[in-house]
Amino acid sequence: MDTTSLILLTLGSVTVLSSLGVLLSKDNFYSALYMALTMIFIATTFAVFDVQPAFILIAFIFIGAIGIVTVALAAVFREVPRSIPVDKLWIAPTIVTVGALAYAIYRYATFNMSATPPDMSTFQSEYALAVAFLICLMVLLMISIVKLVRREELCLR
Amino acid sequence: MFEVAVILITAIVVLLVAYLTAISSRDLIRLLISLEMMFGAVFLVLIPVFSIPKMANTAFGVLVITIFTSSSELLVLIASVVLINRIRRDVSTDVVSSGGDMP
Repeated sequence: MDTTSLILLTLGSVTVLSSLGVLLSKDNFYSALYMALTMIFIATTFAVFDVQPAFILIAFIFIGAIGIVTVALAAVFREVPRSIPVDKLWIAPTIVTVGALAYAIYRYATFNMSATPPDMSTFQSEYALAVAFLICLMVLLMISIVKLVRREELCLR
Repeated sequence: MFEVAVILITAIVVLLVAYLTAISSRDLIRLLISLEMMFGAVFLVLIPVFSIPKMANTAFGVLVITIFTSSSELLVLIASVVLINRIRRDVSTDVVSSGGDMP
């Protein structure tokens, strides 16, 4: 087993463990922290394959902005759920499905992988319109949210 | 040799854990956390696409669009959680189980 595979295996294991922490933790705040940790490990997987722009985007936007807001929100509403209302009978079919999927992937996805980092100069020219539309979408969404919150504020007065 | 297998299995497990968290959630915060994890699993699945040299730019384009749209969606959900708390003084899923406006 080469170094990349070993690093990837370790990263995959800690990603799964931290995601299990989200499920098993009873406090919302700790769940949010485990979620941020899972996302950091996912971003690190991109860095292992030298796709640094993806790592930066996920780390700064998804974890840095949205993840931290979620952690802050979870710290405010730090409720402990009464019980987990999941039927234990679901565990058996879930394990069977995971096993079948894992075997299929293990059997067929064994080609050597070497990720190619994106060419940023070409990307900028090819996807300029898409990025412009994305910025428009985000600005429109922000305006809608502000309008929604202000309307509710007026209704509550 | 098994890089793709490790990535895809990790993505599936993270997605399943996120689904379980969503099913077992009693409040909207936990639902928000599980949604973010689902998007994380989607990001992981995109990594093998980067291994095809001709698809690297397309994969990055898909990733950028996914990150921005999911972030926007989560921001809307965060604003909704805050609004629901203002109106109902509660963020448990019971208060939104019927959906829509107040009867």
